[in-house]
Amino acid sequence: MKKKYGLLLAMLVALFMLVVPMSTQHAQAATDDSLEKIQKKGVLVMGTSPDYPPYEFQATVNGKSTVVGMDVEIGKKVAKDLGVKLKIKSMSFDSLLVALQTGKVDMVISGMNPTPARRKNVDFTHTYYQGGYEIVVNKADKGKYKDKDSFSGGTLGAQTGTTQYNAAKKQTKNTTVKGMTSNSDLILALQSHKVQGVAMEKPTAQAYVSNNKQLAALPSHFDMSSSATSSAIAFRKGSTSLVNKVNKTVDQVKKQDLVKKSYLPTAGKYLKTNTVNTSMGHYWKAFLTGIEYTLIITVCSVFFGFIIGIILALARMAKGGVLKTALRWLATAYVEFIRGTPMMVQVMFVYFGLGLFVNLPALTSGIIAISLNSGAYVAEYIRGGINSVDDGQTEAARSLGMSNGETMRYVVLPQALKNIWPSLGNEFITLIKDSSIVSIIGVTELIYQSNIVRSDTYRGVAPIVVIMVLYFILTFTASRILNYFERKMQHD
Amino acid sequence: MTKPVIEVEALAKSFGDNEVLKDITEKVEPGQVIVVIGPSGGGKSTFLRCLNLLETPTSGKVAFEGQDLTTLDTKSVNALREKMGMVFQGFNLFPNMTVLENIKLAPMKVKKTDDAAATKRAHELLTRVGLDDHADAFPTSLSGGQAQRVAIARALAMDPKVMLFDEPTSALDPEMVGEVLNVMQELAKEGMTMVVVTHEMGFAKSVGDRIWFMADGYIQENNTPDNFFAHPETDRAKDFLSKILM
Ligand SMILES: Nc1ncnc2c1ncn2[C@@H]1O[C@H](COP(=O)(O)OP(=O)(O)O)[C@@H](O)[C@H]1O
Ligand SMILES: [Mg+2]
Repeated sequence: MKKKYGLLLAMLVALFMLVVPMSTQHAQAATDDSLEKIQKKGVLVMGTSPDYPPYEFQATVNGKSTVVGMDVEIGKKVAKDLGVKLKIKSMSFDSLLVALQTGKVDMVISGMNPTPARRKNVDFTHTYYQGGYEIVVNKADKGKYKDKDSFSGGTLGAQTGTTQYNAAKKQTKNTTVKGMTSNSDLILALQSHKVQGVAMEKPTAQAYVSNNKQLAALPSHFDMSSSATSSAIAFRKGSTSLVNKVNKTVDQVKKQDLVKKSYLPTAGKYLKTNTVNTSMGHYWKAFLTGIEYTLIITVCSVFFGFIIGIILALARMAKGGVLKTALRWLATAYVEFIRGTPMMVQVMFVYFGLGLFVNLPALTSGIIAISLNSGAYVAEYIRGGINSVDDGQTEAARSLGMSNGETMRYVVLPQALKNIWPSLGNEFITLIKDSSIVSIIGVTELIYQSNIVRSDTYRGVAPIVVIMVLYFILTFTASRILNYFERKMQHD
Repeated sequence: MTKPVIEVEALAKSFGDNEVLKDITEKVEPGQVIVVIGPSGGGKSTFLRCLNLLETPTSGKVAFEGQDLTTLDTKSVNALREKMGMVFQGFNLFPNMTVLENIKLAPMKVKKTDDAAATKRAHELLTRVGLDDHADAFPTSLSGGQAQRVAIARALAMDPKVMLFDEPTSALDPEMVGEVLNVMQELAKEGMTMVVVTHEMGFAKSVGDRIWFMADGYIQENNTPDNFFAHPETDRAKDFLSKILM
């Protein structure tokens, strides 16, 4: 069961609760209209993290990359019973609950386990699926191991932050437990004998085994309470009427055993079509999309970052009255703050934080966050560039009757930019690489796409090699182009 | 009598505790060539920069054609500054522009002169300083003498009423001093009002109408060139002359 819940995000949620206590309390105090609201809207937005077959994963359906899996089937049934349309929003598992609390999605179905900690923040339906754990081993070693107790002196792998990870730690003796963030990485570690077994959920283990002839699955015999292996649907806190209504659907799913009879087989079918061809070439469209978004984000962020950078640099150099001093302080504080916090947190803050007030799509949020970030760095380059221009230039321009602004625009800035062109070029190349951070909010840039391909194909390394080469081609081309312009400017 | 072009009254300028200009009251009449001489560090550059308000006076008055500049808003100061051309010791040409673009920039951006007219005028001025064949060169390819002549042409392009020169030949190799001084002499002959800070005593004698001897934050002596060099009145001036004429 996935249980990852970054401390960072927990803190962000806490922050939002502080920032908007009014609206939250208000929503809870008012009579519960959650069901009515969804039915009026006519659309139910489901948040999920499609890197977890057979629960949810990406598959190519009619030539289009689509989120499928047993959870998607559940979501479809829930929407149908509510009489609304289903819309699926993908993002990293860590971001799901924040997205739910900040209204980016209406419900979360993502193999999520209704732990007491989560229950504090969101409402859960009855469980719709009761899983269990297995241990995946190399088929050649199958005879050597029986269950969790056979790995004494060896190493077991498990996805970091998951229930099975904790179980492996607590319920084995003399066994090292190695955590990694994704199952595909763990399988890779298994095949390269860095770990002897990988603890996984049963359906996931089965999916790996049936798709890879070198693997085999063992029963784990972990001692688990039933709630730790179950999955439920999460809604915003206080959505009692909605939860009650959806519970009827969940109860029916369970009574008719729809998951085993219908949903898992459907998911399995996608898994099959999905893994017929695991060559990287087969996924060229996914990588192309990745390149496209990486470039969109980079180019837009460089453009806006540059404008923000100029404004900040000028503000930081403002001298004079109270107003200008205040401006200078503000700009300085901004630059220091941005440079002193991780870009990842800034991206999440813009997406989830600003998202409370305006509903920004992930791509827009990503571009805004990276532009704001880059602007702070560019401002410093520009400030340095402006300082590198001889004072005599300003004096000459001023003596000709040019205003401060005209002097800056026509005389100082062009020279400053020429001086800092190499630094700006570096910033551009850095952004090509750093734009990968927006993968956490589900923007389909290169890293995100490669993760999708990895979980789709059960191939751990090939997609990484592909994007490494792609990133290099992008940065190398960019640096050639920048060099060309640099040489051209030198001729002047 | 005609109105003075520049009138300075009780002008003082300090940088922190450093009183550079203490109390200066002088006039520049139309068509006059004033040569300011004095020991290094005596405040000559600061004085010149106070005239077009590149430096804000600490107290006192600087008037241009009867109008007190120290009371004007930024915009009007900008407008008045274009009427006072300035030439610097270090040329300060814009290195990222050609000679022609250097000259055209201010007329086009400040006066909104159209490109054709600005180009025509720039070529006229370049011809006047003998450099029209260098119109498309970049400043780095010019010799010091050529660069300074371009700087003079650039200042003239705004059609100033006064030209301020701050040691225009001090940074030049000796063999290039003449070509710049010649241009300045031509300008003086045409009736341009000029305030020139220089160590070129020959130029001071032959072109200057008045010598202002400046030291310790005061104009110590305001005299005709003939009198100043033959019979300096103050000990400070005698001392200075004995040192540089040796
Ligand atoms: N921007 C400034 N800030 C502080 N002190 C200055 C500044 N400009 C000039 N000074 C000081 O003013 C004095 C006179 O300098 P300056 O006017 O350049 O003299 P001169 O041109 O006669 O050699 C010097 O002591 C110099 O250090
Ligand atoms: Mg000086």
